[in-house]
Amino acid sequence: MSTLNIGGSQLDASWFLLLSAILFVLGAIGVLVRRNPLVILISIELMLNAANLALVTFSRQLLNMEGQLFALMSMTVAAAEAVVGLAILVDIFRVRDVEDIDDLSELKG
Amino acid sequence: MSIAVFFVFAALAIIGGVGVISFHQPIRSVLSLVVVMLSLSVLFLLLSAQFVFAVQIIVYAGAVMVLFLFVIALLGPARDIGRGRLRFQTALSLLFVLALFGLMYALIQGVQYRQPEKADLNFFGTVQSIAVGLFTTYLYPFELTSILLLVAAIGAIYLSRKHIDDL
Repeated sequence: MSTLNIGGSQLDASWFLLLSAILFVLGAIGVLVRRNPLVILISIELMLNAANLALVTFSRQLLNMEGQLFALMSMTVAAAEAVVGLAILVDIFRVRDVEDIDDLSELKG
Repeated sequence: MSIAVFFVFAALAIIGGVGVISFHQPIRSVLSLVVVMLSLSVLFLLLSAQFVFAVQIIVYAGAVMVLFLFVIALLGPARDIGRGRLRFQTALSLLFVLALFGLMYALIQGVQYRQPEKADLNFFGTVQSIAVGLFTTYLYPFELTSILLLVAAIGAIYLSRKHIDDL
């Protein structure tokens, strides 16, 4: 039912979904455990990529283009997020050196 | 053949993902993320998403990752200090993430796939089919995306300008 015929071989769609889940979980670990704000941004990118893989997998399984279109939209949003996030980070680093994201927990200028 | 390609690049992606969260220097995390993105682009090709494959390499592995590398070069080598302010943060995080993975695994096992639609696999995923979707049904979200990119560009320029006088 969920097998995909790719190049003559039978691949299961759930393999791709499982890989996507694993990558998403790795990204979540990175966000929760690591302290460096840059590494947290990188882990968010990893999670977004994992979500894209699931979208493209479902698109192929249903033979419906909308999943790929949504993946492209999410890539655009991810690029915008990376640009603004890195700009904020550079602005913060200009004021002081942040090695731990928890140093930024107070909302004073 | 396809199965071998899938498993090789799936393993490469997982190794890269582990590298992202376990290297102590951010530059190595970024390079591991490039490995993940390139392996995922091969998997996109396997799923007959040619255009997404090209965009993944050009936009992600090309532009976004170079941006990360520039920022790391700008900020200088930062070292990750080991522990957070909260006690047991690592253990608690791993517990929650394990629960999340269990949930996702159960969802994947129980998913009911719909019957695939009738589609021509020679046409599926090509630039033409993407364009037909983007410029007919999804024209409005597509145009909104351009505004989003404009806002992001203006925001980045505003945030990274020089503070000559405090506005």
